[in-house]
Amino acid sequence: MASSDEKPGPTPVATGDKPTPPGEPTTLSSKILDKGAGMMQSLKPVKEMKQHVCTFALYAHDLSRQIETHHYVGRLNQDVLQCAVYDSDKRKANLIGVEYIISPKLYETLPEEEQKLWHSHAYEIKSGLWVNPGVPQMLEKPELENMACTYGKFWCTWQVDRGDRLPLGAPALMFSPQPVNRGRVRPDLVQRRDEKYKISTEELRESRVDIQEPEIHPNADYWVKHNKGFAVDVKPADMKRLAPFP
Amino acid sequence: MATSHVDVPGEPTETGTALLETATGTIQGFQPINNIHQHLCAFHFYAHDMTRQVEAHHFCGHLNEDVRQCLIYDSPNKDARLIGIEYIVVESLFLTLPDDEKPLWHSHEFEVKGGYLFMPGVPGMVERQDLKQVCKTYGKVIHFWQDDRGDPLPLGIPQIMMALTRPGQLDENIAKDVEKRFGVSFEEQREQRKDLTGPDHGIHPLANAAGRGLKTELREVDIPPATSMPRVFV
Repeated sequence: MASSDEKPGPTPVATGDKPTPPGEPTTLSSKILDKGAGMMQSLKPVKEMKQHVCTFALYAHDLSRQIETHHYVGRLNQDVLQCAVYDSDKRKANLIGVEYIISPKLYETLPEEEQKLWHSHAYEIKSGLWVNPGVPQMLEKPELENMACTYGKFWCTWQVDRGDRLPLGAPALMFSPQPVNRGRVRPDLVQRRDEKYKISTEELRESRVDIQEPEIHPNADYWVKHNKGFAVDVKPADMKRLAPFP
Repeated sequence: MATSHVDVPGEPTETGTALLETATGTIQGFQPINNIHQHLCAFHFYAHDMTRQVEAHHFCGHLNEDVRQCLIYDSPNKDARLIGIEYIVVESLFLTLPDDEKPLWHSHEFEVKGGYLFMPGVPGMVERQDLKQVCKTYGKVIHFWQDDRGDPLPLGIPQIMMALTRPGQLDENIAKDVEKRFGVSFEEQREQRKDLTGPDHGIHPLANAAGRGLKTELREVDIPPATSMPRVFV
């Protein structure tokens, strides 16, 4: 029915040269309603996102497809973070997925089959690809040491980079950049990002040389050793019911 | 069937970490997050298993008049777990979706008219202004964290979820629990929402898992060796 590694069938909403998403501009009345609701509701979970990280990710079924991501990170505790991932840092950025980040201690408790779905962050951070826009280096450095040891699991629900104007298909697993040929991010993507934020990934790399290289668990970054990635299929199935459906 | 509250494993946040995040929270920009203006509570169940039902707290923002995107949490509290995502589109956009995409989306008419979808803290009259529109939309929900079965972390693969489409589907205990905690009455809401109408063309037969069910599966795919030369991009 749908697979994360298959391009969706022809449809006006799968060709990227028109606005993404399609639709009418937000009306004044919707804005007023939103503002009203926003004043009456506390939106607590959303206020817990206190970090913006800009980095890059690769599709787990096709490493040549690479995207710049904007993670808005919320912390559940010292060992677990949850991120809403967008395709830009603008107000109308598309919500393209969710990433979870856990400490090595927790990663080790996962069953082997689960560990394969997670990626390491060491290279992404040490190489300077992972940045906290607007945060002075001195401030971010101590926490980067911790982050460099963590593992992430990133599901992408909207493949904007292939031209989908709406979130189509099955969710896709993502991997992190790695220090092997196929795992390196295209220089033009990095350059574009750097120009936008007036930073230099190369300079960041140099400044992070002293961040300790953690030992990466053998089951993480599955594709590097096994030349196999992952895709997700959505298939028809019988629904266990307790009442008629639909 | 009610959400089990297994604790998330891990140590309490350290002071240094918390301080840094207070700083980054102040210095950095959060525009996409600031676009989230609305909290909606509703119920989802797994597209392969109606008996597993989840209270879903949606935090939504408009991308434009016709498309919304929502972060789904398991509660409206500070320590809520981010368990999924929902996209909501108007009928005209739903109709442009390929036929094999439509089953992944569900209709909202029943849960809105039934009173089961509500905006905590917002007076009924204001709520209904928006629900008038939501009633006609379709949603696509993907969950990543199956905390209803007690998963302490987001394990496994994403799950397509469905929503209520007729009476008798929602577990009564879950319903009563939510009504009590949020001080709402679904029956009262049903009365107030009688004049709301669903999609102009009726609920599409391919929506709601095409009337059957859906499951997700993981598949390994071959990829070129890690060290082979990548394609040259022009």
